[in-house]
Amino acid sequence: MTEDSDKEDDIAFSAEYALGLLTPVEARAFEARMAVDPELRVQYALWAEDFASITDDITPVDPPKAVYDALTTRLFPEEKQSWLQKLGLIPAILGGLVAALILLVATNQGLLNGPGVTGPVYSAEIAAEDQSLLVLATYVPAEAVLRIERTAGAAREGRALQLWLIAGENPPVSLGVLAEGEVSAVPIPETLLAALEGGVLAISDEPPGGSPTGLPTGDVLAVGPVVTL
Amino acid sequence: MTATTDIEAMIGRMALGDRQAFSTLYSATSAKLFGICLRVLDNRAEAEDALQEVFVKVWHAASQYQVNGLCPMTWLITITRNHAIDRLRQRRAAAGDMDELAELADLSPGPEALAVASSERRRIAGCLAQLEPDRADAVRRAYVEGETYEELAHRYGVPLNTIRTWLRRSLLKLKECLS
Repeated sequence: MTEDSDKEDDIAFSAEYALGLLTPVEARAFEARMAVDPELRVQYALWAEDFASITDDITPVDPPKAVYDALTTRLFPEEKQSWLQKLGLIPAILGGLVAALILLVATNQGLLNGPGVTGPVYSAEIAAEDQSLLVLATYVPAEAVLRIERTAGAAREGRALQLWLIAGENPPVSLGVLAEGEVSAVPIPETLLAALEGGVLAISDEPPGGSPTGLPTGDVLAVGPVVTL
Repeated sequence: MTATTDIEAMIGRMALGDRQAFSTLYSATSAKLFGICLRVLDNRAEAEDALQEVFVKVWHAASQYQVNGLCPMTWLITITRNHAIDRLRQRRAAAGDMDELAELADLSPGPEALAVASSERRRIAGCLAQLEPDRADAVRRAYVEGETYEELAHRYGVPLNTIRTWLRRSLLKLKECLS
């Protein structure tokens, strides 16, 4: 064979290898040659580069979030996920934050400007994604309570709504089962105040009397970040 | 589109075990790579599985990738395409439609070789357009559908030797145009 036809042969072989057209025996032989022949590696790399541009006209498609979650669980199993991640609440919170802030400032004008305000006012709009459950929670410093106002939705038949405070990497802390009335108050011990700031309030569906385990057991129905007014 | 140097930086940090970099790389490239998986496999559930496998490979192979200023996307696309084609062929083999074929190289091309590959070469689409339509089509089918010589021979109704001869000739023409 002449030198030219050898060279052509290598070019064609590299392309066939990149496309996966060689038989197993041919492919192993080609790999063995590539291992000792830098020129051949270059030929192959050039083809890989060229063929990759065939994908230029393939439309990108966002993969579902579950793929990323499965990946991180698989690659970094020891990494403790935050409770927000575990409960799948991060997108809901990001989406709700701005809307919540505007609403809360507007609805709490009276409280903000009223007499006797002695500390920061924390407030949260705890909302279901489809707004089927909507609860406004506002911390009243003077009374050390969270004033709860349920404006939409209720517990399912024979079930209870339980309120949780989630802060950082810590497990959710139960603030108790919501009373049936539309307006109620939940006492907040001073030890929880720090967690309230920057925390997240969530409501889950639980058996009557609340979760038997001390952690949410049913669906998380509504969620809202605590904002400082 | 994220710049080449950014993607290289992410792969470099991943090689050091930086998980944040992994997450950033995923955000920047997963839609493109998922598009490829979907196109090749034409099945959503399988494409999702494939994408997961691809990123596992990428995470573990990041340390073998060296920053060289050239096309880290080619590296990612090649890993993705080869993995998807391997799956597609396993599916066809399981259905008894295909003879045994070599598994495609996992991670390629190597950085050393890539450093020589110029990123300013002509786009392949223009050169494919200069081939006869059915030959350009055969090249595309081999790359995107993973079709083998047997399958191509059957598709175009020509003997195996003939298809190989004319595909090799087309590849050489393509190379001439690309260089």
